[in-house]
Amino acid sequence: MENKTNTWKLKEIILAAMICIVFGVVYLAGVYLASMIAGVLTPFGLSPLGNELVFGVWFMAATLSGYILQKPGAAIVSEVIASVIEVLLGNWFGPLVIVAGIIQGAGAELAFAAGRYRKFDGLVMYLAAAGACVTSFCWSFIRSGYGKFSVSFLVMLFVVRLASSLLFSGLVCKAAGDGLAKMGLLKGYGLGKNHA
Amino acid sequence: MKKLNPGWKLLSLILASLLLSATFRIRLNLVVAAVGLTVTLCTPGVDRRRLGLSMVPFLLAAFGMFTAGLWFGADGGTGGVVIRVFGQGTLYASNLTTAMQLSSRILAYGGLGMLYAFTSSAFELVMSLMQQFRLPPKFAYGILAACHFFPVVREEYTIVGAALKVRGIRTGPVSPRRLIPMLVQALERSGSLAMAMESRGFEEGAPRSVAFPTRTGLADLAFLAGVNGGIVLGLVFL
Repeated sequence: MENKTNTWKLKEIILAAMICIVFGVVYLAGVYLASMIAGVLTPFGLSPLGNELVFGVWFMAATLSGYILQKPGAAIVSEVIASVIEVLLGNWFGPLVIVAGIIQGAGAELAFAAGRYRKFDGLVMYLAAAGACVTSFCWSFIRSGYGKFSVSFLVMLFVVRLASSLLFSGLVCKAAGDGLAKMGLLKGYGLGKNHA
Repeated sequence: MKKLNPGWKLLSLILASLLLSATFRIRLNLVVAAVGLTVTLCTPGVDRRRLGLSMVPFLLAAFGMFTAGLWFGADGGTGGVVIRVFGQGTLYASNLTTAMQLSSRILAYGGLGMLYAFTSSAFELVMSLMQQFRLPPKFAYGILAACHFFPVVREEYTIVGAALKVRGIRTGPVSPRRLIPMLVQALERSGSLAMAMESRGFEEGAPRSVAFPTRTGLADLAFLAGVNGGIVLGLVFL
């Protein structure tokens, strides 16, 4: 986790963790909604769709921290922090959440790495959201056995998850980060320095 | 169960879940789920009402996967794929098999997840990650500090929603209007939290002694070997 050229300050760690907590709460609220939808869809066999709808909220911590801190490893470290916090709060999916966190964070991290941690614009944010979506979908193949579904159903699941990721982790996170920077609250962090 | 080192227990159960995710054995999945839940239930001091409540979403998820597998399974009723994979084991392979495979796996994860969640303390997990798995102390204490704000943030979420409602603004659960005030709070809070920790002598990289030592014993290794060995045996024989 420690990067020699780019060490993490305590302030940044706590910020990443705090962002995870905020999104954890938001996710929880989203999950109630999603499970209601899933419940309604169960007789039609569409219940995984409910989960896919809010899946994008999962990556918000990764893309937003990556955007604000703008340092190598920010996305993956904060996604792992988010998953550790999930476990600490007693998520019933338990231990596997941490593996999922590493995989999703890596997907978002790839996009930031492709921009060499210098480019942080809308495009990179959408790529990061899409990256997390793609890696998490591959993980779903292994974890939830998505390979057992028919191709058309898989395509539908993927499209919904991608839309959710782009909307929440791309659009909303970019807007939120820019809004915070405009308020002048991010002076001590990467994004604020670029804005000034 | 409660005496095991939480870090090692987490590692054991992650390995176990990974083993399960590589395969589709319905019987093994069901056995794992049953054993996990029974052990959780029999551990003294487990809140049984909470356990029962948290079973609800996980049963719903399993049932959801069941119907999804039933309607949208890959083999579309012809059974070609499943028969090839399972050889003589399954005579009437159909979408029902797919549905059972998908849903029984959810149950197995749930069993392992509950086993962990209801017998471990968050604080001890972080201490063990720091002492046995080399998590840097600033990450450990940073995460713990932030974690304690969870109830506050949850309350804040309701308050922000109510404040917006008073102003006649309707928002969804993930609306940016509701997020921004919470993120502002998070920023301010993390700044002052970090300052508070540093001003009380938390120094990055300084040698530290530990107030709450966690140890690894033979029992932890036995648990690791036992759980995963059991699953591998199950893969072979069930």
